[in-house]
Parts: sequence; C-alpha cells; structure tokens
Amino acid sequence: MRLGLALFVTIPLLAQQAAQQTAPPTAPSTAPAAADASSTSPTPSTEPWITGTVDFGFRFTSVGGDNDVYRSVVNLGQGPRLLGLDLTIVDPKKRLFDRLDVRANNWGGDPYNTLHVNASKRGIYDFNFDYRDIAYFSLLPSFADPLLGTGIVLDQDSYFSRRRMSDFQLDLFPGHRIIPYLAYGRDSGEGTGITTFESDVNQYPVADHMFDKTDNYRGGVRLEFNRFHATLEQGGTTLRDDQQAYDSTVNYGNNYQQQYFGQTLDLTNLMQAYGIRGDSIYSKVLFTANPFSWIDVSGQFLYSRPETNVNYTQFDTGNLVLQQSILFYTAEQALGFAAGKQPHTTGSLGFELRPLKRVRVLQTWMTDRMHTSAAGQFTDMILQPVSAATTTLTPLTSLLVLNYNQEQTDVLLEVTHKLTLHGGYRYVWGDAETGNMLIAGPGQESSELRQQVGIAGFNFRATQKLTANVDFEDASSSHAYFLTSLYNYQKMRARARYQLVSTLALQASFSLLNNQNPAAGSNYDFLSRQNSLSATWTPSKRVSIVGEYTRSTLRSNIGYLEPEFLSPVTSLYRDNAHNASALVDLVLPGYAKLTPRLAFGGSLFISSGSRPTTFYQPLVRLSLPLHKGVVWKSEYRYYGYDEAFYQYEGFRAHLLQTGLAISR
Amino acid sequence: MLSNRIAALILLCWPVGAQTPAPAAPAPSPAPAPAPAYVGSETCQPCHEDIYNAFQKSPHKLVDTQKRRGWEGKACESCHGPGGKHAESADKAAIVNPAHLPPAEADRDCLKCHLNQPTHIGRIQSSHAKNEVACTACHSIHRNGPNGLVPRRAAAVNELCASCHTAVWAEFQRPYKHRLPEGAMSCVDCHNPHGSILPASAQSYAANEPGCFRCHGNLRGPFTFEHAPVRLEGCGSCHEPHGSANPRMLARAEVRYLCLECHANLPTAPGPIKNPPALGGVPPAFHDLLSPQFRNCTVCHMKVHGSYVNQDLLR
Repeated sequence: MRLGLALFVTIPLLAQQAAQQTAPPTAPSTAPAAADASSTSPTPSTEPWITGTVDFGFRFTSVGGDNDVYRSVVNLGQGPRLLGLDLTIVDPKKRLFDRLDVRANNWGGDPYNTLHVNASKRGIYDFNFDYRDIAYFSLLPSFADPLLGTGIVLDQDSYFSRRRMSDFQLDLFPGHRIIPYLAYGRDSGEGTGITTFESDVNQYPVADHMFDKTDNYRGGVRLEFNRFHATLEQGGTTLRDDQQAYDSTVNYGNNYQQQYFGQTLDLTNLMQAYGIRGDSIYSKVLFTANPFSWIDVSGQFLYSRPETNVNYTQFDTGNLVLQQSILFYTAEQALGFAAGKQPHTTGSLGFELRPLKRVRVLQTWMTDRMHTSAAGQFTDMILQPVSAATTTLTPLTSLLVLNYNQEQTDVLLEVTHKLTLHGGYRYVWGDAETGNMLIAGPGQESSELRQQVGIAGFNFRATQKLTANVDFEDASSSHAYFLTSLYNYQKMRARARYQLVSTLALQASFSLLNNQNPAAGSNYDFLSRQNSLSATWTPSKRVSIVGEYTRSTLRSNIGYLEPEFLSPVTSLYRDNAHNASALVDLVLPGYAKLTPRLAFGGSLFISSGSRPTTFYQPLVRLSLPLHKGVVWKSEYRYYGYDEAFYQYEGFRAHLLQTGLAISR
Repeated sequence: MLSNRIAALILLCWPVGAQTPAPAAPAPSPAPAPAPAYVGSETCQPCHEDIYNAFQKSPHKLVDTQKRRGWEGKACESCHGPGGKHAESADKAAIVNPAHLPPAEADRDCLKCHLNQPTHIGRIQSSHAKNEVACTACHSIHRNGPNGLVPRRAAAVNELCASCHTAVWAEFQRPYKHRLPEGAMSCVDCHNPHGSILPASAQSYAANEPGCFRCHGNLRGPFTFEHAPVRLEGCGSCHEPHGSANPRMLARAEVRYLCLECHANLPTAPGPIKNPPALGGVPPAFHDLLSPQFRNCTVCHMKVHGSYVNQDLLR
C-alpha cells in the first residue's frame, strides 16, 4: 500500500536527469550564429527558460545483523525520496536575475539533505544560499560500552543528533573595482544521547539532550585594481550551547552489583545543565599585489577573539560517595560559572620573485599567536545527610598559550619546458604553555617547537601524455609538543600519469611518511605508505571502465608506562588495507533513438591489523529511457560490514532504489 | 638576521629581475617592432564556433565587454595573444596556446585578472601552485558548465579532486568517514585548493580558526579547560578526517591507546616542567586497564575536546 501510494505520488512528478552522461540541453549545438545577438545577449532567445532534471524515487532497504551499527555507518532508510534536483532558470528579460540555479539532493528522510541556490545578475549581484541537514547516529558498543565484557550493554557515549547548516552570501557589484559583500551563516545541532554523569568516583550512564547554535555574521569589501587586490572583512559570531543530562530512575550504572564498603551505590535523580553563551569578533585583511612583472606579494592579517560565559548547575540524589574521605551522601548540588577568552592573531607575508625567466623564488613568513585564559569558580555542596553537609569551592582558572612561527623558502627552476626542479627549506618554531594558572608545579607545562625541514622535488612533463611529480621532505626536530607529533620525519609523494593509448589512461601514486621520535621511554616509530593505481579504459563508444586500487600500510610503535604499575609497555597499531573500486559503464543497444545504460561495480575495503574490517559496497545501476527526457532509473546497492574482533557489530544491507528522472 | 636575509635576496634579485622582460600586462603593451595584430574575438568565431558559442555564456565573456580590463572585444586574445598571424595562416604555431605552456607561465595569464579574489590569497603558500598544477587543471576557461567555470555540485567536485588524489579518495571508502561519497559534502568544504595558511590547505573559519568549526561549532570554545592538542595540532591529532576503520574516525583502534600514546606517564624532572617529553605526559594516572571500565577513557573523560567546568575533562 505504502509502496503503491509512493509510486503513484511520485511517478507523475518524477524527472530524472538522463543520467549525468546525457548533458542537459543548455547549449544547443546548432547555436544561433547571430553574431550581433551574441554581443548583446549571451542567451539566445530560443533557449528554454528552464532546464534541468528532477529525480524522484523509492528506496527499499533490508538490513540484517546489527541495525544500530548500520545506522552508525550507512543510515539510509526506506521510503520515497527526492534523490536529486538540478534546475537552471534563465530570464531572457533579465529582470530580477539573469540566471537562477537550484540544486537539491537526498530529501525525504535521508540522513543528509542539501539545497543550494544561486541567483546572479551580471554587474549587479551574486547571491548564494547553501543548506545542509546531516544526521549523525552513533551507537557502537565496541567503542563506548565500558562493561561490555560483563555482558551489560549500556550504550554509553552514544548519540543521535542532526546538524543544520545554512549559509547566505550576497556579493554586490556597484562598480568594477569595489565589491562589497554580506554573509550570514548558522550552524545548529540538536539531539539526544547517552553520556556519563561523573562525580568523584560515582559514574552513571544517563540520558542526554544537546542543543547548540552558532550564528556567524560578516561583511566586507573586495578592492580589485589592476596590480593590487585587497579584501577587508569584519565579522562576528554568537554561540549558544545548552546540554542537559537527566535521570529519574534507580541507576546502578557502572557500579552495578558492586558493593562499596558494604553499600550499594546508586543514582536516583539527576538534573545537570550547561548553559554556555559565547560571542566573537573577527577581522580579516588580505592583499595581493603585482607591483612589478617580476614579483607578486601577498599577505594577510587575521584576528579573532572568541569568548564564552559558562553557567553550570547540577543536582543529584542517590547513594553516592566521596572516595577520599569515604563519605556517603544522598544529595548533592553543584554550581559553576566561568568566563574564557581567546584572542588569536595570525599574520603572513609572502612573495613570489621571478629574477630570471626560468626561476621562481617563493618566500613566506607566518606567525600565529593564540592565548586562551579562563577564570571562574565551582561550588560543590553535599546537602544530605545534614551531618555530612560540606561546601567545597574550587577555582576554575586556566591558560593555554600558543606561539607558532614559520618561515619557508622555495626555489623552482624550470630546467626545460618539460622539467621543473623544486628545492626549499622550512623552519618552524614556537612555544606553548598550558595548565592551571594558580598552580606553579606539575599542573603547569610548557614546551617548545623547533623543526627544520628540507624540501626537494620535481615536475616532469615528458609529453602531454606522460607527466610525473615528486615531492620530498626531510625534517629534523629538537623539540615537539607531543610524543606523536612529527619529529624526525621523511615525507614523500610521487604521482605519474600516462596516456598509454587514446583509450587507456593510467595513473600511479605513492606516498610515504616515516616519523621517529627518540624520546626516552617512548621511541616513537611510525611508518605509513600508500600505493595507488588507477586506470580509465574506453575500449569502445559503448564501454568505459574505471578502476582504482590502493594498498595502504601503517605501522606505529610507541612506548608508555602502563598506568597502574608504571611498567613499560609498547602501544602497537597496525592498519594494512586493500581498497579497490571499479565502475563498468555499458551503453546498451538502443530503441526508438533512446539509449539505455547499465553500470556496475562498487568498492571494497579489506583491512588487517589492529581492527580487521571488511566493508563491501557493490552496486548495479540501470537507466532505461522511456521517452525523450524521461528515464526510469534503478540502482541496487549492497553494504556488507564485518569486524573480526567485534563480530556482533557486522551488518548486511540490501538497498534497491527505483524511480524516474525527467529532464528538460 | 631575517631582515638581512631579505635584503640580500632582494639585492641579489633586483637587477636581474629588472632586466627580465615583463609578461603581458593587463593592458595591451606597445610592441617594439611591428605592432602585434589583434583581430578581435569575432574573427575567431568562424573556425572555433563551438568554443565561441560556449564562451558567450561564460563568466569570462566579461573580458569582452568590460572596458576596464583593456580587452574589450578581444577576450580570446587576452589569453592567446595577438591572433593576426594565426588568422591569416591558420598555423597552430602562430598563436599562443596556454594549454601547451608550462603551468606556471599559463597561470600568470589567469592571475593578471584573478590576482586576489576571495580565495587566491594563499596561492603563494599553495602546494598546488608549487607542484605546478595549473588553474586549467580544475577550471574550464571557455565553457560554462551548469554552475560556472568549475564544478560546484559536491559529487562533481569530489570526482575532480579524486582524479588526482586517488589514495585520499580510497580512504573515503572506509566505514567511518565524512559524507563525501554520498555527495553531502565536498573536498572544498574542508580544503581550499588555492592555498591556505593552515596545513593541508585546510579552510579557515571566522578568520583564523580551523574550518572544522564551521560545522562543529559546539567544539569551538574557548573552553575553560582546553585539551591542548585540539589547539596546538588540530583535530587531526586524534581523528582521520578522510576515513578510518575505527569508530569516530579515530586514529587508533581503541580510545585508550590514543590517549596513552601522549599521556604516557613518562618520568620527568620535578617542579614546573620545561620541555617535558611531551605535553600531557604527566602526571600519571593509576587506572587499572584490566578493568573494562577504564578501557575507554572518554566514557568518563567525556569532554575530551575541552571542558567548561572540569580540569580533568570529566564534565
């Protein structure tokens, strides 16, 4: 019934792009030669005022295995869908706009909806609107459940939320050289989940409601002169972030059936709320100049100052404990407030110098300075039993200081028209400080960054059919911020393309990162490699084949002291993966001047190592034209997901999507 | 020292640079001998009709109509140079074809007009420019597609980027990834192909903050208690944004290892710590990792991106 109704509703409306292979008839090849018309009106009057495609359909799904993991990974549901809409409206009289483009994808219940509108009137304005609504679902016991080994499924640290993003931008063209613009963007998220309520040693999974919203306003002006361009922009943001955790049941949580000094701990009521308000101003100055033919100069100055104000409240009851004093209590209230600010300044300056026709020298300097500081107070009150009533005040003060600097010189030498050599040097230095401002001791840390990087590479264009490119970096550091940071490393990227014959093109790429940090006790050893080969083969007008294969390997060894007994151990991580994808596109024998198409292929991912996983996504697509501009499109797709260590998380899903596309 | 170096470089290059013949300036430059013969765009039409017709709907048509650029009626020759000889002889060699020029040289033609625009500021720092990926590798110059000179639809943008960055695209075939294969996002949502001040040509948000905050605004802060790697090295210190076999695109299979690799408990000198083996390495924790309760640090330290009220990121 549901299916019949959906088809009945959608079929007459459907209009699907005659596949992307069929170009929308926006530019008739018989083009009105009218030379005079071309100079006055770029749009021949015979052109339809509206062109584009509408693609409606219905998706059937069948999921076996763990549906929660399916939703965490794929999350495509069943039902009627607006799969795609791409319309262009041209107003021959150019009243409100010259051209209006509207694009929409995956509406009607899919976890990601997009809408884009662009309207422009030449010499007057250009308006863009972009909207996205993306659903995030995450419920993965292997990731989140701390008690999974005991058979207790808490689904702790899971969520289901939607993020909606809207962006508007209007560019005005009052003159040729000064272009003002205004923009507004909103990013908001709302959802529910399960999180942990944590108070001293009391930990309970509780329901969670999240809401946050960021508004971004900005405006500026672009100045475009022949040898000098500049952009001046001023903007601001506001933030609202409200999170509430609550519980009104008897919750044994992670202390389930465990006695603590003879008592069973539980949580019977919780109300916890964060009220975060924030704002920021920011400024941008960008410029590029070409003062002489042999030099380009560019620079930017960026400044932002986000601030937040925090209000936190918490009330909880149950049988809870303060570990240090083994004090049992039944009611607690906590209040917190704080304010934080983060002035952040970035500047860069660079030039490209062409002292000789075949030599380019690129020099850049950059500095980035961010100082975060916050202050406030947290008050924790034990309310009951009255005999144990206490109030604890904790100052909330902290800082994080980052000063980062970078200088880089690159020289590009065009040895011949076919070969360019590239060499350079980068020096990176900085310092960071983090910690509690009131504690001068173990709570406060500072560190430095010192890194020297040599750069080499070449671009080789043997013929138009054969090109190759290699980049190499070798770095040596004396200080880095984190054990896993880039320290003494070699990085290499190589890529080659070869058009073997007119019907066959090949591309190969290789990348490598080898990083070592000899810090005592750590001895970080990291090596990752990616080898990739792709081919595009068009043996005939009716057949095209695209295939790619990538082999990636990753090895990471790093030492640490195991927390409880501080005994040295090594964290090993391995991720060795095969990834292949292919698509065979066949043009089937036609009928009545209509051309059906069949495509099949898909991708597979097989990995071994620390989390062996397989993920298969084969697909078959069939496009059957029913009439000029009307195509019946169907697609079958399979998702197969398995993890060797967490077999209960595997799923297999069959998706069949069918519908019509109407194009004009 | 720095200023000395700049001065030396400028001194070294100035005299040589001054002698270098200038590439074509925005306005037609007077030629020494017989002036190059400009014939106008309409002369090109009879032989290159497809291109000519497509060009009428291209934004580049402005070059033909706007006086300020100095190429009114000569848009074709603004990039291809004077076409007089070619029009007479129909000889390919008699006209400049930017497609056959070294990329850096061809790009300079584009940059004559597109010196800045909102996105071009970082070009000098762009790895595309340094690797001589020409503007025309992504932008079609004559033809106006459904949305301008470059693909705008997310799926088409991704296809274009993936045609070179095949290994990166392979990462998006992993189970946990941003929604690019589904067409909900495109590469340029996170990267600025023209260059950026951030590593990997990452987009910035609100002037100088990582572009990740455009969509993840609730993680922007500033937090009362920051988690230093988020600010110092960015989201990529824990996440593989292109795709991972690990939930939440984490860089390690289990959360505890991700945490312990930095919070390694390695010994250090007492007192205020200067240049420890790593930030966050101390003080040590005493959790029993044999207990499943402590195997996922973020179950308790849930505010791992930064906390508003708790120094240990517990709430």
